[in-house]
Formats: sequence, C-alpha cells, structure tokens
Amino acid sequence: MQRLLLLMTTTTYRAQAFLDAARRLDIPVTVGSERSQALAAVNPVGHLTLDFSSPAEATRTIVEFAKAYSIDGVVAADDDGVILAAMASSALGLPHNPVEAVAAARNKYRMRQILSETGILCPRFWRFPIDDDPVAMARRVEYPCVIKPLSLSASRGVIRVDDPGQFVAAYHRLVAILQRPDVAISPRRSAQEILVERFIPGSEVALEGLLTHGQLRVLALFDKPDPLDGPFFEETIYVTPSRLSAAVQDQIASCTAEVTSALGLQHGPVHAELRVNEHGPWPLEIAPRSIGGLCSRTLRFGDELSLEELLLRHALGLETEILERERLAAGVMMIPIPKAGILRQVTGQENAKQVGGIEDIRITIPLGQEVVPLPEGSRYLGFIFARDSTPAGVELALREAHRRLTFVITPTEARPAQGEHVSPSTLGADRLPLLEH
Amino acid sequence: MINITEAAGQYITHLLADEERQGLALRLAIAGQRPGGFQYKLGFVREDERAADDVVIDAGGFRVIIDAESAPNLQGATLDFVETPEQSGFRIHNPKTQWTDPKAIAIQKLLDEHINPAVADHGGYVTLLDVKDDIAYVALGGGCQGCGMADVTLKQGIEALITEEVPGIQQVVDSTDHASGTNPYYQPAKGGESPFA
Repeated sequence: MQRLLLLMTTTTYRAQAFLDAARRLDIPVTVGSERSQALAAVNPVGHLTLDFSSPAEATRTIVEFAKAYSIDGVVAADDDGVILAAMASSALGLPHNPVEAVAAARNKYRMRQILSETGILCPRFWRFPIDDDPVAMARRVEYPCVIKPLSLSASRGVIRVDDPGQFVAAYHRLVAILQRPDVAISPRRSAQEILVERFIPGSEVALEGLLTHGQLRVLALFDKPDPLDGPFFEETIYVTPSRLSAAVQDQIASCTAEVTSALGLQHGPVHAELRVNEHGPWPLEIAPRSIGGLCSRTLRFGDELSLEELLLRHALGLETEILERERLAAGVMMIPIPKAGILRQVTGQENAKQVGGIEDIRITIPLGQEVVPLPEGSRYLGFIFARDSTPAGVELALREAHRRLTFVITPTEARPAQGEHVSPSTLGADRLPLLEH
Repeated sequence: MINITEAAGQYITHLLADEERQGLALRLAIAGQRPGGFQYKLGFVREDERAADDVVIDAGGFRVIIDAESAPNLQGATLDFVETPEQSGFRIHNPKTQWTDPKAIAIQKLLDEHINPAVADHGGYVTLLDVKDDIAYVALGGGCQGCGMADVTLKQGIEALITEEVPGIQQVVDSTDHASGTNPYYQPAKGGESPFA
C-alpha cells in the first residue's frame, strides 16, 4: 500500500483537511512536524519529528524512515514545508520542484530579479538593508510605491506610500513590526532587508494551479472584488469563477505559466497572485503551495473531491486530469479585523448563516485573544464560505453575512483580572460558570 | 430528578430577573466525562428550544430542561452555587460518575490509562462526550484545545488506538470548540506566515 508523508508545522490551519483527504483515499499517512506529537508512541509510523529549519538534516531523517516504510509522495501543507518537501522528494526519487526554484519563489527579491530578466511585466524595485537611512531610501525610489519586508508574508508589513514623507513614516512602522516579539527575526539575510516596488494599479486575482512536469493546469481563478489600493493590503473576498473576460483569463494563465517556467518550478501546487490592468497581468507572487488558510474549502472537484484530495492524488501519481472544478460559483471572505484590542464576543452568526448561499462561518480567533489589524497583524477573525449559481450571488451573500456579524473588541488594557467575579450583566445567555470539583 | 440548593435557586432567579433573560429556562446537560466524573453544560435557553423527549423540571420560579440522554445520569444530582472570595460559580454534585454503555466504558478506560497520560505531557486532555453507533465523540481540552495539530493527535493517535482496541468503533469525531481555546491555533507560523502569499 502507498504511504504519504505530510509535512506540516504545529500552527497549520490545514491538518484536518489533509488528513480527511488521506482518509477518503484510504492512504496511510505519516505526519512530519517540527514537534514530537503527544501520541506518537501509540502510532509511531504515523509521526515523524523533523527540524524544518534544517532541511538537509530533516531529509536525512526522512530517508532513514523511508528505508523501513516506503514513502510514495511528499506534500507540504503550508509554505513552511515546501523546501523540505522538494529536498526530501529529490532524495527519495519522487517528482518534485527543484530546490533552487522553490527557494527563488519564496524570496520576493529573487523573484523580482528573475521576472525582470525574462521580460514578464514587473514593476521597478529596490532592495535596502533595514538599517539603511530611510531619508536616502525615500529619495531613491519612485512614487507611488509599496514598501514590504522580505522576511514576512501575507500582507503583513506591506504599506503603500505616495511621497517621501509617507515613505519615512512607513519605514519606521515597518521597523517596529519587525521588532515585535511575535515576529521571529530570522538569521537569514532576507530578514534584515526590505523590498520597495512601484505600486501597480489594477484589480487583483488569485490563481490556483497544478504543475505536472512543468505543465500548468489552472484549477481555479479567483477574483478579489474589493479594491486593494492600500495603504494596507488586507485580503477579504475571493470568488471563483472569475468574471474577467475569457481573453484576460487566458492572459493570466499564460503569464502564470511563464513565471513558473522562469522560476523553474516543475511539479505540484501553485498559488499565484496577480494584478491586472491595461498592460496585462503583473505577477505579484507565485508560491509553490496551495491556497492557504481555510480557503481551500471553496474548491470542489469531480465527485465532491476537496483540493487536498486532488493534491494528494497528484502527489501519488494518481489520475487528476479528469477532475474538473464544480459548476457552482464559490467564494470566501476572510473576515478583516476592524480594530486592535481583545476579541470579546461575536454575535449574529446564526442570523448570518441564514443568508442564502452561506455554507459556513468559522471564527478562528478564540474569544479573549488579542486581535491586531494590518499592517502589524497577520490574521483574520475568521472565514465566511458561500456557494451560489453565480459569482455575483456569492459575493452578495458574503457581504450580507458579514454585515450581520458583530464583533465586540475592547481595548487591550480592559482584560478582566484572573478570578474576577462575573457579574450577571457580563454573562452570556447560553453559558453559566461551572466550577470543577 | 435533581435537587437545587437554595443558593443556586436564588442566584438563578437573580440572573433571570435581568430584562434580557425574561422567560428563559435553565438547560443542564452532561457534556462528557473526564477522570473523576462527568462534565456538565449549564446555560439559559428559550423555553421553545426544547425537544419532545426533554425532561422538564419546575424549580419554582424557573424551569430546568434536561435532555433525555443526560437525564438518567443526573438522577439524584444536586446543583449548588458557591461563592467565596476566590471564586464563584455553580457546582454539581452527582452520585453517578460512570458511563453505562460498554463501548463508552472501554473508550474511557483507554483515555484514562493510555491517551490522557500521554496527552497530559503536552498540557492537554481528551474528554469522551458520547458514543453513538460506531462513532465516538470527544473533545480536546487544555493545550489541545485550539492547537493546530489537534487533528493529527485525533486521527493519528486517538482514533488509531480506539478503533483498534474497541470493537464496533469505526470513527472518532472531534467536537471541540477550538475557537474557545487558548493555544495558537490559526496563529501565523514562525516568521509571520499567514494563509496568503
């Protein structure tokens, strides 16, 4: 029987989706993670502790493991595992992306360099050491531009600026973000650098694709109907299929294929973000992984297959070409954080679920935790999922469901003290305090 | 059916005097089991949120609703309200402490003797909530609640052991409210990683 190695760190959103997919495929799984698992002793073949920060060492561990338990596919659930997946696949003789291609795709500056050398649309860009003089930097760049840290992902720390004054202010804000205790400063050189690039006006799309021996297959193209013009770039709504013209969609697919080819990516999932304007598609980022968070729930293929199931099938060399995305339109809203503070209460969920087309609402930040909006933060309050006959219907449903939700966020310093008496006025309607025996 | 102490009755009446709780009833249910006894859920519900087979008790001034599955295991239990300088809240004294379903008893034994001691080393615990047909429903608490790897613990560990050791159980389902956890579930990975590129 085939066995799959699933690489995921302990902060993944996607363990359930991938494990459910493996169960449906009836494929035994070994989970490779950076920490030892609580019940590893119960099922030692099912767990492998790996040092993701040392992929060469982790690859040796995987190869040793594979001598006893044959591994037929390696899949990284998230960005953290893509380098290790490439190295391990190479060592095991499995189809994979070249390690240098994966490394280039994960480095915004290297990717910009490659794009600029190939003639693919690419904004002017500059790289600076983080300790450079911001006033001097501000004089060198062109406006409007976007300042972003090389070491962070998502839109964290990404700020649009329109003049030198804004640039210097944004620079100081970015330095403060990089000094936050929750931002692990990597010893990598890129952690100490910032990238500045000309702002690209236009609408934004996300392409979900699958590479097979260098050939790109588009699995889905998502429109992002909310404008992303800055100063911060918070993702909100993704809707597929795209409402762009067939010709533009073809251009986006061709552009993505050109970029993957230029980077040298060969095999596995691709998640691409592009801007589209009168000049054509501008690739922003091409990641050798699938769509993140819980957003893969928007995608279903063939007979109700999840994206994760499709990816596992692909990794194992099983048939995937005949599996087309469903005909219904689907979408997700990543619920933005409206203000900083402590998330105290979320109301209106049942009412929001009554909106036609809404399939589920998942609040993913626990009550009582601090919430931080962009650019300092990097999380969303949760996800709203919808399906409908048309993309417009999906978008409408997502917006209406979001309108029905209320988030109570209090200032951070208002956290009640431990053991403080709970007054009747602060008790929820459905839960009373029960003491342990 | 159950006894309600004077302190508990007075406090519930006091809570129900709040304008927003007018006409509500108290729902009491067994939410699972941990070593040492059952876990409970207590809250206010609307009177019309009541199943046909629920047991309804008139406690004088308010009603207590108990679901049919919990009712046998709550026979003779006492609901009390405790208030000290350190803590305040409801406490349930229940003479019954064990499952009656043989599959549930077997699963509870695995939890007590094998699973929870191992999970405790990671700051967590697993509670058996219910067994219906060939499915066991559990909740993961402590460090497990909200942990991104809870599904790995569940599928690769808990389910692997229970389905192997308890005949008739095919699946273990996690019914944890992970959004109420304190672990870094859904938090960005090292380096500020987040779902989107």
